[in-house]
Amino acid sequence: MKTDSHLASALEPSQLTAATSLALPRRELGRGLVALLVALRVYIVLAVLVVIYAFVHALLTPSS
Amino acid sequence: MSQSAIGLYPRSPHIPAAPTGALAPEDVLRAEDRTKVQESRSSGRWLRLLWLLIGPGVLVMLGENDGPSMVSYATTGATYGVGFFVPFILLTFAMAFAVQEMTVRLGAATHRGHAELIFQRFGPFWGYFAMGDLVFGNLLTLMTEFVAIQAGGLYFGIPSWVSVGIGAALVVASLALRRYATWERVTMGLAIFNLLFVPAALYAHPDGGALLRAIATWSPLSGGLTVAFLTLIMANIGATVTPWMIFFQQSAVVDKGLTKADLRQGRIDTGVGAILAAIAGVATVVAAAPLFANGVDASKFSGGGDFATALQPLIGSTGATLFALALIEAGFVAAMTISTSSAYAFGEALHARHSLNLDFSQGTLFYTVATVSIILAAGLVLIPGVPLVALTLAVNVIATLLMAPALLLLLLLANDREIMGELANGRVANLVGGAIVVGITLIGALYGIVTAFPGLFGG
Repeated sequence: MKTDSHLASALEPSQLTAATSLALPRRELGRGLVALLVALRVYIVLAVLVVIYAFVHALLTPSS
Repeated sequence: MSQSAIGLYPRSPHIPAAPTGALAPEDVLRAEDRTKVQESRSSGRWLRLLWLLIGPGVLVMLGENDGPSMVSYATTGATYGVGFFVPFILLTFAMAFAVQEMTVRLGAATHRGHAELIFQRFGPFWGYFAMGDLVFGNLLTLMTEFVAIQAGGLYFGIPSWVSVGIGAALVVASLALRRYATWERVTMGLAIFNLLFVPAALYAHPDGGALLRAIATWSPLSGGLTVAFLTLIMANIGATVTPWMIFFQQSAVVDKGLTKADLRQGRIDTGVGAILAAIAGVATVVAAAPLFANGVDASKFSGGGDFATALQPLIGSTGATLFALALIEAGFVAAMTISTSSAYAFGEALHARHSLNLDFSQGTLFYTVATVSIILAAGLVLIPGVPLVALTLAVNVIATLLMAPALLLLLLLANDREIMGELANGRVANLVGGAIVVGITLIGALYGIVTAFPGLFGG
């Protein structure tokens, strides 16, 4: 029967559940990236509105 | 010994090493799989090595050839015949390969799922957004998969509650395997039936010369640039690149235990999947092309079952039967992969254990999310009067509009050298990836707008 240490050697240290359960540090964002993410949030708000409109419109339109 | 262990690939500086301690149950099973991989690699058995490492790429590509996607391809064939769209579909799968290859590198470099990385690197807003978007979109998509199973079943005279009920029960039962490697092989065995569209296409007696001419010349294209044409362009892109694919393949790569040493096989896996899925996609166009040749209007078809019924007099009952069977397979395999991608994302974002190697007691949240999403989607489809058309439309709009954030976050993560190390995107990967992201984002947004406001361009 294979021991834990023998099995563990088949995995990379960073692959073990004990390692992946440790959170990575937050990424430091530059000004450009922050601007991009803000723009993305605005896009998402607009996209959600379009989705809601599309759904309600389709709901109220009788299908043929 | 892995290449990483012998120092060919230095560990990225921000990926923590494991504290010493006992192995988790999922580690033990993963380590057993990895031992076989290492034995095959060290003995130079390359075909066995490839066989052991293939899986996530094939599953994600054939999984995306799902019910609605195959209906999109059939609509394309019925509307335009064999022509421009054949090479276009091949191009979309090349794009899908470029996108999905990034997820293989991300998974192999970080050993973390996509939702997890977004949460940890960009904070809770984007983490919860990614998870919520995925889980909600997946639930709606799952419903369309059961609609496909229902439509295929109705072709054979099977009542909806029977086909949907059996489909849901089998998808839930597949979770009971509690072993990633087994689940993967079972799903791959089923996914290969996506190629039933190929014999169905052969029953349409396609003109090989016309097919080659279409690929070489991107023509003919009847009707020019219309709203219907644009919609099909966007639907075909939406049938090839979607958010769940990004999340699923990265999570599956991690669960399978791929490392940097396995990148080559991971890329081959993704490439093979893209080729198989492209063949099935083109075959669906070809199978439905007789509808175009005979002037059948497919615009009023309500689903895949209508295609099989309309094709019966044109390609024969065997061809139509194969088409209906392939449609059921498309919905079934996609239900397996999509429900799993929801479970992975939920577990990753909420820091719960997430692996198909877990027992039910160890992965309660993981299995609960998958099971509930399957039962909920199947149950909603069976409710009489449920607005399936509105829901299908919402699925398309959500998938296309929200591809933009998913692809942008993917590109940002693939460029994150702190976690990717030397596997971060290079200049060529960024040029190709960037062009795809910009193209898909613009086209996806246009598709969402055209779908939401069909009268905007005079359609």
